[in-house]
Amino acid sequence: MNAAPAVEVKDLSIKFGDFTAVDKVSFSVNRGEIFGFLGANGAGKTTTIRMLTGLLLPSSGSALVGGLGFGDGGRGIKKIVGYMSQKFTLYNDLTVGENLDFAAGLRKLDPAYAKKRRKELFELIAFNKPLSSKVAALPGGIKQELALAAAMLHDPEIVFLDEPTSGVAPASRARFWALIRRITGLGKTVIVTTHYMDEAEQCGRIALMRTGRLIALGSPEELKASAFPGPMAEIDFNGAGSAAFIAGLEKAPGLLELSPHGMRWHAAFAAKAAMDAALAGLPPAASAALIKPSLEDVFIRLVEGAER
Amino acid sequence: MNGFNFHRAYSIARKEVMHILRDPFTLTLALGLPVMLVTFFGYAIDYEVRNIRLAVSDRDNGPAARRLKEVFSSSGYFRLVEPGPAGPVEMLDSGRAAAAVFIEPDFSKKIKGGGQAQAQFVLDGSDNSKAAAITGYLPGIQRAAQAKLAAQTIKEPFSAETRFLYNPELNSRWFIVPGLAAIIIGLLAILLTALNVAREWENGSMELLLSTPVRPLEIITGKLAPYGALVLAGVFFVYLVSRLVFGVPFEGSHLLYLAACLLFVTAALSQGLLISVITRQQQVAMQFSMITGLLPSMLLSGFIFPVESMPAFFQYLTMLLPPRWFMAAARGITLKGADLAELAVPFLALGLLSAGMLALAIKKFKTDLE
Repeated sequence: MNAAPAVEVKDLSIKFGDFTAVDKVSFSVNRGEIFGFLGANGAGKTTTIRMLTGLLLPSSGSALVGGLGFGDGGRGIKKIVGYMSQKFTLYNDLTVGENLDFAAGLRKLDPAYAKKRRKELFELIAFNKPLSSKVAALPGGIKQELALAAAMLHDPEIVFLDEPTSGVAPASRARFWALIRRITGLGKTVIVTTHYMDEAEQCGRIALMRTGRLIALGSPEELKASAFPGPMAEIDFNGAGSAAFIAGLEKAPGLLELSPHGMRWHAAFAAKAAMDAALAGLPPAASAALIKPSLEDVFIRLVEGAER
Repeated sequence: MNGFNFHRAYSIARKEVMHILRDPFTLTLALGLPVMLVTFFGYAIDYEVRNIRLAVSDRDNGPAARRLKEVFSSSGYFRLVEPGPAGPVEMLDSGRAAAAVFIEPDFSKKIKGGGQAQAQFVLDGSDNSKAAAITGYLPGIQRAAQAKLAAQTIKEPFSAETRFLYNPELNSRWFIVPGLAAIIIGLLAILLTALNVAREWENGSMELLLSTPVRPLEIITGKLAPYGALVLAGVFFVYLVSRLVFGVPFEGSHLLYLAACLLFVTAALSQGLLISVITRQQQVAMQFSMITGLLPSMLLSGFIFPVESMPAFFQYLTMLLPPRWFMAAARGITLKGADLAELAVPFLALGLLSAGMLALAIKKFKTDLE
């Protein structure tokens, strides 16, 4: 297998007028990897993906996608990658077959080849409805899977998915992610944006973006370890008054992060000694347990924390 | 060679055809509008004013007055009504009559004596188009009456005879129905294109199209061709109805007519594309299309109101509007049998405007994608 990375990005930036939407982003994506972009709306995830699919040309910096750059205005990249956009999936008024034929026509696929691919992809997504089904009549999750099939009809090595599961029921989301893993199992590279933490947990590596910048990059475990070098406690006040204690805790030395999670609080500390000291005065009714930080904690610390 | 790929353009065109076939709104509009326009302008609107209610105040009651009244009623334009106690002017005031004629008491006597008899004709000028039409009938009525009343034919120093070329009966349908093609192209081509492309922006599928190696020119060709064909089908329908139902003559070259249609269709489709690129929303695109498509075709093309009688500013404005030139070409070809040399100006203008519009639409479409 070729050892060159699927995508290699260096100092990639794009400006719209005075606004820098993506600011000197650098990373590389390995072949066969699920690479996730995590960030709030407007963080630059979609814009980055739109550049890497050849839809937008960067203002500066470079990117090699499957070994190709932007020298030809992105046409070469468009030929070799698959892209599923956030908003649109398939034409509702057309049938499944017509939608796939259209996708094949746009990519000038040989009809026999397109038919063969269609069969393979139907097996991959376990689609068993007739080709003549109207897309409008299909459930959202199936539609999303078909859209992915349409984006992969030309058998791209690299597939870009922009929030593929937005607006899809939780059960269908899980199904879709199982599908993503099957695709990378075939040796394909999947680059996906999401704002669901549970989805980000399933990525091989995550690029965390905030206001156009890449602020952290690594596997979910690496991100957690670097954001929270010390221990994290989950405090449950069990109905006892918490305001006074929280006010004091906020000023405790060694506190890295304190955030409410429903009825509970997550408190992260630089070291165990700092935690023990800070939690010594906990009200009798309250309890504290040592927990492993979640990606949501990471997100709160790195993205929202930086905005406070 | 520029890399234009017919196959990709064809794929888009085929998809558009499927959209059209499944969209009741597009189909209804595309098929319904020509039928509606033909029915409306072919049957309901008649520029000849008939059955004008004429109140007669006959203070003569002699044989000459009776003959004069006969001339009015047998013309086919007038229906005589008795003024009743209120009098003819009251009838005009209340709208129960559109015109009145006053015959003086000694009318018959004066004519018999070879003198100058008087009859006064009064018109309701509040409806000026009706009044203008009625005034147009008067010289004929007068001539007919003189011939009937005078003992011997009056020797006129010269007689002016009018003969109408191209439309000898001044049949308004002949004039209006060939112009309907302009309305159909001007409205349908612009509206359908604008809506369709705006929908593609609105639901985000343009993004999907652009993420493939498809070129802007292929998208444009694939999208516009089916709508062009649909609109030309509408024009063909109007052509059939005007020939078969209304008997409108077609004096000129069909090929030339087709060329004029194609030029105007190109301009209209480009305009629709331009609107969709600018608005990107179906709702706004619809309003834009109505204003920039229907209004010029209806009001500023000479379809109903002659360009020559517009204020100078509007006359110059119409020069920038493709429908005006198409209208001139279409009427010239159908009614006069004009050839390309005679229609050089409309064709040149139409060609320039549609090339300009197309170039502008392509440029705007391309730059907006980047």
